[in-house]
Amino acid sequence: MVQLGSRLLKGYRGGHVVIRFALGGCTNRPFFRIVAAHSRRARDGKYLEQLGCLDPLPNARGEKVAGLNLERLRHWLGCGAQLSRPAEKLLGLAGFLPLHPMTVTGAERLRRRRRAQEAAVPPVAGGLQQPGEKP
Amino acid sequence: MTGLDLQKVFRPVKQELKPPKYKLLTEAQLEEATKKAIKEAKEKLTMPPVLDEREPIDDVLAEDKILDGIETTKYIFTDLTYSIPHRERFIVVREPNGVLRKATWEERDRMIQIFFPKEGRRVIPQAVFKDEHLVTVFQQDRHEDILNMCIAQFEPDSADYIRIHHRTYDDIEKHAKYDLLRSTRHFGGMVWYLVNRKKTDGLLIDMIHRDLLDDATSLITLYHMLHPECQSAKEAEERKLQGVDLIKVFAKTESQKEGYIQLALQAYEEAMATSTDHIEELDLCCLLQHQL
Repeated sequence: MVQLGSRLLKGYRGGHVVIRFALGGCTNRPFFRIVAAHSRRARDGKYLEQLGCLDPLPNARGEKVAGLNLERLRHWLGCGAQLSRPAEKLLGLAGFLPLHPMTVTGAERLRRRRRAQEAAVPPVAGGLQQPGEKP
Repeated sequence: MTGLDLQKVFRPVKQELKPPKYKLLTEAQLEEATKKAIKEAKEKLTMPPVLDEREPIDDVLAEDKILDGIETTKYIFTDLTYSIPHRERFIVVREPNGVLRKATWEERDRMIQIFFPKEGRRVIPQAVFKDEHLVTVFQQDRHEDILNMCIAQFEPDSADYIRIHHRTYDDIEKHAKYDLLRSTRHFGGMVWYLVNRKKTDGLLIDMIHRDLLDDATSLITLYHMLHPECQSAKEAEERKLQGVDLIKVFAKTESQKEGYIQLALQAYEEAMATSTDHIEELDLCCLLQHQL
């Protein structure tokens, strides 16, 4: 039992408080808890406080449900906590923080890729139609 | 007017079964216990709020055209701060087309029930509350149960709450089942609805049949308070009518079922006359028996 006690009362050198996602749930069924924890802790390990949750799978109405305890979030940000990138992106989507630049970049990249795919597909389709037109 | 039938207010509600407790009380203690029971019954009979339908929420907080078409589903963000009232909670929706808007009332109710569950309320309202199923409920005479369920499930100013209440009151008025709601907390709401729409005739006849003349006069006084410009209100004020005269004037001027009300009043007066004769006979019999 002494070994267990020393594991629980771990002291780290350095590290800071981060607000990040802790993964839970079951196989093929993820569920994230938005959590304030030491950066050196395990992803799903002991945290300081749970600040919310996010269900990445859409529900029966086609919505992804997320809860954020904004008051405690403001408290931890005031204490100097840092945010992980997915947490920043989520808060940008929520409107609590401004939109993350990587969200915008990701959107532009996706658009460019889609446009390229659409540009690549029609000439092939146009080429295939000609043998069909001339019986 | 709601009536105070202790038997009905405290009738057994479906709960876990406990064996009955018997107490030995003196007369004074029994009186005290009855008074306490009446006080508790009055608390149970407080009318639930009657509000106007709420305005739909239609507020856009931000429009980000860059995010249009990137996500396939929408995100709903709920503020989980414990100390703010549910009406002021922030619940926003990020649509797939990049628009950040406030959530509609239905979405708000659902999210608040998910994160702050209230007893007796479900996240998705039950199928009983749809119109086609309400008909079955009314056929079984379970108006009070469905109204209790409605109060537990919906907010007082939501469209569903108002719709279900109005349907129930209409059905009761159509079949004259006023006694189902008497001595429950829904009676007040029903009377308010009927008086606002001037459909009080059936209720008046029912009250006269059950010899509740005081309730009938209170109903007509309420009608005059709500519609002061009607003819019977002016006459009543001029001539300062009370009791049966008030009902007769009301029947003549305002009601559609004048004949029925007159018949009911006649039957009541005859019953009063015969019962006074009976009382006098009974008093004589008692005196003779005492003497013998």
